Amino acid sequence: MNLSKILPYNKHTLKSFFSFEFTPLNIFMFLLTIGLVTAMFYGIAVYLIHGHHAYGVTRQHAWGLLIAMYVFFVVSSTGLCIMSSLGHVFNIKVFQIIGKRAIVGAIIMILVGFVVIAFEIGHPIRMVIYNVLTPGLSSAIWWMGTLYGMYLFFIILEFFFLNNNSHKYSKIFGLAGLVVGLAAHSNLGAVFGFLVARPIANGPFFPLYFILSAMVTGSYLLFLIYGWRYKMKFPPEVEKFMITLAQVLGLLLAILIFFEIWRMLTAVYGQMPERADIAMHVLTSKHFLIGEVLLGMLIPFVIIIFSKGRAIKALVYASITGMVGIFWMRYDLVHDTQLAPMMPLKIHEYTSAPGLVTYTPSAVEWMISIGAIGLAFMMYYAADKFFNLDHTND
Amino acid sequence: MARYGMALDYKNCINCKACESACKEENGILLGADNHRIWVGVNEIEGVFPNLSIGSSSFQPSQCQQCDNAPCQSVCPTNATYYDDNGVVRVNPDQCILCTYCMQACPYDARYIDDRTMTVDKCNFCSDTRMIQGETTTACQATCPTKVRIFGDIDDPESEISQVLRDREYHRLKEHLGTQPKLFYLK
Repeated sequence: MNLSKILPYNKHTLKSFFSFEFTPLNIFMFLLTIGLVTAMFYGIAVYLIHGHHAYGVTRQHAWGLLIAMYVFFVVSSTGLCIMSSLGHVFNIKVFQIIGKRAIVGAIIMILVGFVVIAFEIGHPIRMVIYNVLTPGLSSAIWWMGTLYGMYLFFIILEFFFLNNNSHKYSKIFGLAGLVVGLAAHSNLGAVFGFLVARPIANGPFFPLYFILSAMVTGSYLLFLIYGWRYKMKFPPEVEKFMITLAQVLGLLLAILIFFEIWRMLTAVYGQMPERADIAMHVLTSKHFLIGEVLLGMLIPFVIIIFSKGRAIKALVYASITGMVGIFWMRYDLVHDTQLAPMMPLKIHEYTSAPGLVTYTPSAVEWMISIGAIGLAFMMYYAADKFFNLDHTND
Repeated sequence: MARYGMALDYKNCINCKACESACKEENGILLGADNHRIWVGVNEIEGVFPNLSIGSSSFQPSQCQQCDNAPCQSVCPTNATYYDDNGVVRVNPDQCILCTYCMQACPYDARYIDDRTMTVDKCNFCSDTRMIQGETTTACQATCPTKVRIFGDIDDPESEISQVLRDREYHRLKEHLGTQPKLFYLK
């Protein structure tokens, strides 16, 4: 059986696979990728020896950087899936050129997310077994995990049919992937939103915010992917797509800023304990002000407003700050949820006075979670080599 | 089948921590600050010397509240956390995947990671150590020198705990969350 007939791909020798143009940027990305992946494997090795003791997580702050990065990667995946569906599911013409590249990005991001979570969940294999044998149907994690599994299956089929130019089936599986992806992703928001004990997270905000911020993340990633693909020399149809994308991103950011303003106002108003005090702590933290607001929202938003979305080269650079901001959004949502100690009378394990719960990620956590970005780079490089991801090949 | 609960005459607590030691000994809890099923909360004395509030100086022995509507149970993706026949919230370590979602969901910080099994552990009213052998007291109750704890079947109208709950006022922790805890703090 000839695999290339079923799934067309480019044949490579080892030499041709690793050959690339020796520009300073390419060499920098090559070294960065190698460095990140090496750090990730070193971190995984330390984790396999020491378990969760290699992490900075504690009894009162049981979720740390790896959970934040898992959310970061799956948000990126859902975002790319939603944005690509604008083209080949909803037939918006300018978005039709991104199908394959966006979906391959979505597949890579969810796979990397699964890799990260595998080193956070204590027993990932047992999880697969008992998710089936004794499903906890009232658990948002069960739904999130199960739906994300289905989502991955659908978007792989969607890519398969896109790659075969079978638009009827790619549309069917694209729609299935979109619907299941939205359900999975809002369930991920509900993992936090369902926590009745934690007023700062409890409620419908996170399921909605996750979908909105996924679309923002998907837009930033598309700017980065296409900026890299065309090295800032965009063909006319790509330029048209990016200007439209910038305008859509401007609207999404405006809605996101509006959401955040009302989230914080309602959290602070009335001085409700464990909500208002946590919200004030967030509002005065550098993570939020510099990370989330300035890098994640304001810099790209100001560029879009002042250029009417036409400064697409500036937006490619602003998408780097945007993704740094998105990282802090994920980190903060995990960290802030756990800030309030659940039993204030219990002096912090008899060593210090009760206050907000503290957490500092360990070096191993940084290595695995940030190193996983290198894994995403590596997989994208391989996908770009093996498949024809450009619309011009359709 | 019983429905076990515990009443705590917490104003009698002298913070000797014998209950914590007995719990560790009985259930083989590993050493280390994070490893504890039960604890004694300390209310800081309010006021400025010499106008200190004696009334504010109190101790609050606590543990898993054995909720009838336990958030830790409903969030468990593999049903590793379950209610046993006596209404005790327990963990089956064979099914626990260590996602620690239950630790996020518990409003009482009652759960921790047991390094022996690498799963989440919690108070189970000594179900697998004492109750299974026919004992009628938990280790923490049996050892308490000031008789803070009264353990028993709250569905049995003749039990000591049922009588105490009929005779005395009590409050439960974070009751507004709808968890229906079965630990009763006597006033």
